[in-house]
Amino acid sequence: MSSPFELMPRQYSPFWLRALCLISGIAIGLALATVLLMFNGVDFKGIVREFVLYSFVSSRGLAQTISTGTPLLLVGLASAIVLKLRFWNIGIDGQAWLGAIAASGIAIYEVGDPSFRLLIMACAAIIAGAVWVGIPVFFKMRLGVNEVISTLMLTYVAFLAAQHLLYGDWRDPSTSWPVSVTFDENSERLQRIGFGHVHDGVWIALGSALFVSYLMLGHRFGLFLSAIGLSPKGSKASGLPVPVVVILTVLIGGGLCGLAGFVIVAGQEYRLTQYVIHDLTFSAILIAFLARFNPIAVVPVSFLVAGMFTAGETLKAFYQLPLSLILVVQAVILGSVISVEFFSAYRVRINGFGLSNRQIDEEQSQQL
Amino acid sequence: MEFIVYWLSATPSYAAPLLLAALGLIINERSGVLNLGAEGMMACGALAGALVSLAYSSPLLGIVAAAMAGASLAVVFGGLTVVLRCDQVVSGLILVALGAGITGLLGRNIVGQTLPGFREVDLGVISDLPVVGPLIFSQNTLTYFSFLFAAVAWWWMYRSVGGLRLRAVGESPSTADANGINVITTRFLAVVVGGGFCGLAGGYLALASSFVWVEGMIAGRGWIAIGLVIFARWNPRHAILGALLFGAVEALIPRVQATGVDVPIYLMMMLPYLTTLGVLVVASKLDEKRSREPASLGMPYARQDRH
Repeated sequence: MSSPFELMPRQYSPFWLRALCLISGIAIGLALATVLLMFNGVDFKGIVREFVLYSFVSSRGLAQTISTGTPLLLVGLASAIVLKLRFWNIGIDGQAWLGAIAASGIAIYEVGDPSFRLLIMACAAIIAGAVWVGIPVFFKMRLGVNEVISTLMLTYVAFLAAQHLLYGDWRDPSTSWPVSVTFDENSERLQRIGFGHVHDGVWIALGSALFVSYLMLGHRFGLFLSAIGLSPKGSKASGLPVPVVVILTVLIGGGLCGLAGFVIVAGQEYRLTQYVIHDLTFSAILIAFLARFNPIAVVPVSFLVAGMFTAGETLKAFYQLPLSLILVVQAVILGSVISVEFFSAYRVRINGFGLSNRQIDEEQSQQL
Repeated sequence: MEFIVYWLSATPSYAAPLLLAALGLIINERSGVLNLGAEGMMACGALAGALVSLAYSSPLLGIVAAAMAGASLAVVFGGLTVVLRCDQVVSGLILVALGAGITGLLGRNIVGQTLPGFREVDLGVISDLPVVGPLIFSQNTLTYFSFLFAAVAWWWMYRSVGGLRLRAVGESPSTADANGINVITTRFLAVVVGGGFCGLAGGYLALASSFVWVEGMIAGRGWIAIGLVIFARWNPRHAILGALLFGAVEALIPRVQATGVDVPIYLMMMLPYLTTLGVLVVASKLDEKRSREPASLGMPYARQDRH
């Protein structure tokens, strides 16, 4: 071999190595992100102040982080379960839009008794989100249409549908902006729990996390899910109900995204606007990957990712930096996490250094 | 009749950016690397094109910069997927996020400024001919080049040794490797060239169709191009037809609006996305028996991985 490096695939990578790779990946990502921020004129002290102290310690920032984290937890869970199946739902924004539209529709047309209004809104949002992902999953199962593109195309359709309504029938006649009327204070809003902007949605999100965790870790459904994710053919051959599990999981994921849309309109915005849903998809994928698709780990990770958005808001206010900076930071972190995984999948040997193949063979034969 | 000529004459300039992006993706995916990052590379291409052509008042330099911006983002992607063998879908999504983030960050100051760009050619008498004049002889120079590139790419891919090697790497990298083709280099080059084309497509949008830069101006065209590649069965020749179809759908929106007919505009704007979805469904129905997808698409290759 003339190449200075040799790669050897590892048959087995120990837990400590995978953990080390994840941690060092995050560390490298954070370091790169810090450099990026410093290039944009934020000094190191400022970074610590905004990203650590303000977002997670100060009570105002913490409240903001928790309320941003509420929908993120829901979409993170959705992303974690479908990615376990290798189903690429990148239309999370679209499903959340549909959930937000459905919930707003119920509120605007005052469907049902006011005492059940919130429940009806939530159910409508779940169904709408599930239907919106149901179309791609139907196309995929029946015709083999790539779900990446179909889910994404439906996101644009959902966004345009919201625009159509906001510039049309749902526009609040008392303003000149494309926004809907505000929801009724008593029957159509999630109540604040008495800590900043944090609202009842946080219980909904934590309850969902509990439900998904039970499903994935305490029920055989989770076992089926992991098996199908590892090998769909093998699972089918061993008699698992592959299509049922796949469809059910994806629909649950869509429902969670719809619920996230409901939480945003009923807990934060109190009406439908053009900007209620943004940047959920990539955050959800980042959360799922950092949490290693484990629903329990999704809870703290989505809280941390929400902190980035809180810091992003203050950077926007004090440093005039756009929120898209947070998107770059997220991309850098995810990129470094998946690149460092390389070292848990391969053993890299530099020629002339360390053990040669023969020495390793000898070592292994001695161990046997 | 007048409306139809008006509509069809706008079609090539809507088709060209989609065609350029699709060509890039075809080259990329024929080597076996699935690149979902077209949207991000186009975004960077559009911004680089806008910045450079503003700074030097030269659309030509701008379009070169656009291609280079797309290619440099593709280098990152190649590093992740080809060298480090990361998951290609995640890496593609990272590219989209990077593109959207970087352009939002760097483009703040040029939003809404009119850019020097490529205007329609005027060939005098020929351009004034009825029907064919506006249809064929009054497009901008970049449009002609886009279609020329497609023809060249088709010839290269199916009639040259280099193209054969590229396709071999995408179909069966281990066989190609055994025949002395360097799989890693081929794939990396394909990714970078593909990125260059995607950057070009973004530059086209800024410098030859909108003449301004705004955030999010790619508006899903990168994803539509990915759908177009599937529809074109990874063949540049079919991509021309596909791009014209998608271009025609997109060109319909401003044309109908211009006639003053009262149509729900946001519902009309759904058309390109719904067309993409519909076309994918039809394509998969037709291709049910044998898919033309490169056999090793999406699978990283390392010689050592063979057990």
